[in-house]
Amino acid sequence: MKKENIRNFCIIAHIDHGKSTLADRILEKTGAISKRELKNQMLDSMDIERERGITIKLNAVQLTYHYHDEEYYLHLIDTPGHVDFSYEVSRSLAACEGALLVVDAAQGVEAQTLANLYLALDNNLTVIPVVNKIDLPSADLPKVTEELENIGFSKEEIIYTSAKTGEGINELLEAIINKIPAPVGDHHKPLKALIFDSVFDAYRGVIISIRVMDGEVKVGDIIKMMETGATYDVVGLSIDTPKEKAVTSLKAGEVGYLSASIKSISDVEVGDTITLEKNPASEALPGYKPMKPMVYCGLYPIESSKFEDLREALEKLKLNDSSLTFEPETSKALGFGFRCGFLGLLHMEIIEERIEREFGIDLIATSPSVVYEVVLTDGSKVMVDSPTKMPKREVVSKTLEPYVKTSIFTPSDYIGPIMELCQDKRGTFINMEYLDQTRVTIHYNMPLSEIVYDFFDKLKSYTKGYASFDYELIGYQESNLVKMDILLNGEVVDALSVIVHKDFAYQRGKIVVEKLKEIIPRQMFEVPIQAAIGTHVIARTDIKALRKNVLAKCYGGDVTRKKKLLEKQKEGKKRMKKIGSVDVPQEAFLSILSTTEK
Amino acid sequence: MVKSAYIHIPFCKKICSYCDFCKVFYNTNFCKRYLLAMEKEIHDYYQNEELDTIYIGGGTPSSLSILELEKLFQILSIFRRSNHCEITIEANFDSITKEKIDLFKKYGVNRISFGLETTHDWILQKMNRCLDLDYVKEIISYCKRIGIDNINVDLMYAFPGESLEDVEEDVSFILSLDVCHISTYSLILEEHTKLYLDNVKTISEELDSNMYQRICVLLKDYVHYETSNFAKDDKYSKHNLCYWKNKEYYGFGLGASGYYGDIRYSNTRSMTHYLQDKYRYQEEKLSIYDKMEYEVILNLRTKWGISKSAFFISYGKKLEDVYSYSDLVERGYLIEKDDYVMIPYSYWYLSNEILVLLLEEFHDE
Repeated sequence: MKKENIRNFCIIAHIDHGKSTLADRILEKTGAISKRELKNQMLDSMDIERERGITIKLNAVQLTYHYHDEEYYLHLIDTPGHVDFSYEVSRSLAACEGALLVVDAAQGVEAQTLANLYLALDNNLTVIPVVNKIDLPSADLPKVTEELENIGFSKEEIIYTSAKTGEGINELLEAIINKIPAPVGDHHKPLKALIFDSVFDAYRGVIISIRVMDGEVKVGDIIKMMETGATYDVVGLSIDTPKEKAVTSLKAGEVGYLSASIKSISDVEVGDTITLEKNPASEALPGYKPMKPMVYCGLYPIESSKFEDLREALEKLKLNDSSLTFEPETSKALGFGFRCGFLGLLHMEIIEERIEREFGIDLIATSPSVVYEVVLTDGSKVMVDSPTKMPKREVVSKTLEPYVKTSIFTPSDYIGPIMELCQDKRGTFINMEYLDQTRVTIHYNMPLSEIVYDFFDKLKSYTKGYASFDYELIGYQESNLVKMDILLNGEVVDALSVIVHKDFAYQRGKIVVEKLKEIIPRQMFEVPIQAAIGTHVIARTDIKALRKNVLAKCYGGDVTRKKKLLEKQKEGKKRMKKIGSVDVPQEAFLSILSTTEK
Repeated sequence: MVKSAYIHIPFCKKICSYCDFCKVFYNTNFCKRYLLAMEKEIHDYYQNEELDTIYIGGGTPSSLSILELEKLFQILSIFRRSNHCEITIEANFDSITKEKIDLFKKYGVNRISFGLETTHDWILQKMNRCLDLDYVKEIISYCKRIGIDNINVDLMYAFPGESLEDVEEDVSFILSLDVCHISTYSLILEEHTKLYLDNVKTISEELDSNMYQRICVLLKDYVHYETSNFAKDDKYSKHNLCYWKNKEYYGFGLGASGYYGDIRYSNTRSMTHYLQDKYRYQEEKLSIYDKMEYEVILNLRTKWGISKSAFFISYGKKLEDVYSYSDLVERGYLIEKDDYVMIPYSYWYLSNEILVLLLEEFHDE
């Protein structure tokens, strides 16, 4: 493979702008897969990805394309599109020389289009603007072209495609070859390969995705991880075409997978540099700064015996998701579990779902919390990522919470409802910029905790799905925060405690107890539910005692049916957590999130 | 040792809107072939045991013609019967006649179970049933007159739209009949029934529970011996007790189920298969643990509860070693009295909850 004929690129876009479909079409055009083999969204191999239609895990595929009698090797590195995953985006960008910036022909430039563009420019990538979905009846090419010109592209640079019909794909492939530079780097220098992803395979151990920057790695080489210092024999090298194909070596500029019978997950750190034990590189690649988790929640196995399984699952997931953090925690109500940190709420949901599906562990997730800063009366500071760690009120001198600056892109029709929503979420208006006559960016400063809950869903429903948003952390601000406890049958359930702004506590308390009343099934006795701040009860309701639950008529001696019925009831109970003598279903622990009355 | 047999007659002249049991429209031609097939089934499986109870249920056994009933009883004459054999037949008031009752008497039937369900016209209409209350009184007194005084009447409550007063009226009518046995069932909306498909709304849990409590009070002169059954003068349903006491029984006929040895079986619900002599639909082989579980579930439905010594004799294990129930006794959900463990009367209507709690305490040593 000639280095001059290699192009490493990724596709960046706002969510739903057709990134995965475009990737599919490129695979098809380059003959990597036939149309018949093409499941929709080929690169998204995890079930959840395909179901949710979003890309979570990255992927690298090698494609070949003939152009002017030369064979070119295109490495397409897929990136996730959701705002929670900007960290993973930056990982894939570090392995590329160029990026396709995809914009929906009907929707135009959106919040994440810009965020991703800046990220790509920060990484010194060559960016090719692509207007996709030009087949849509609602496509407005002049408008989108103008928007792209406004953010610094020239008309001539823009490629117009329809991933659906295939129009413009050849032009796009040619632009990739002509505009994106071939990788630099010298394969005679000592090996420097960037680890940009890894997964755990039950048979082969950890499989690492690498981009070779300098030098060459061969099967049989002894490699060394520069950060962790671990050394391993390279057992296999391969590329994805998108079927796995074994190769004997990977040289500077190339992208592929490396396996080395690595069983110890902690030896592999995404962002680390691989070199050879003999003739090592003198310094590591810059890597990238890991993102800090913004949202924390407790994850507990419903069956307490699955605690170790849960630890193993988290370790395996962390392999290709170093932004996931976890440490053991105990709850009086839920037993042993882990306090886990996530980039955002979607990230959290996906991790939960993967643990349940891929590892078969039924989970209870406690309500998510951001990291609060608490200044104590003695002047010391504590960071609080869980309501249970909130110090007693007597020793708290002030509380601070993280604030973000949000950028909300919206058609101007929805300015009113959005401002109302932001006000409700304790936002402070900063300013408003018109992109053109009908489109506007609204900036608000808002507590992160408000965004963590249901802001995104609300925003979508207030604007019929037209608005998009992005946010960045701007630091901590003082806020009058209190810990609200929930009592079931008179006992505080630690896993249901939540930190709220004092002014909103009454309203939240009322909603939460009502919601719990709906979710928790009737028991053999009456169960009071209370919300309290300290010893002060702010809301209360009761779950009435169960009145009727009996096996009735037994037709003609068909008693097996009754046993089955009981077994079903028993199964249902198993999925609940016993707290004191009350059976509480999983969903109850997230009900604390609901901020609106039905 | 099998001492009971259930005989299923799947024919009905009308299909009740709530019924999900195995039934077909009555048809002379089918009925004839059906009886022949059942005769063969009985021949194939019956091991000549002496029976204590025979129960002819349905469907509607009384919908058969005199001739067909004659044929049925001839088939059943193959059974060896003990001296005090209880022979029950189910009947509906829209198909029963004095002539048929005479025939029952002639063939040794000594117990009749009548489906009354409700006395209210608007409910009967929604159930797709009909009833003439005067005729009910006439038939009941005729049965008593000719010496069949072991009579059960079925009452259904919790029908959508029904009030507590409606149920009270039903109960007082049944009390006026002065029968020795009453069965009461709260309506269960089963899938695949007309009622279910019509999307009717069930009554509230509160009202259902109030109806139950009210019925219990109104029937205070009867012994409430099983969740849904009340009896006077020790006229318990011997056949049903065989189910509740986890005893073996044959089930013959379309969709019938039975239990002998380690097998619980159920017959096909397909008339076509049945007429081709393909009787059995599925058999479940019971482990000792299944048997113990049945023993607990079933016995705890009765006022007597479960006998610890009988449990030990049957399974060679102590009840408390298999299910650690002491905590449930402490919480008042179970009572331990001499050799028996039972659900306190005040909790009968929550017996599912208690059974689940108990079964959770299962220990395999």
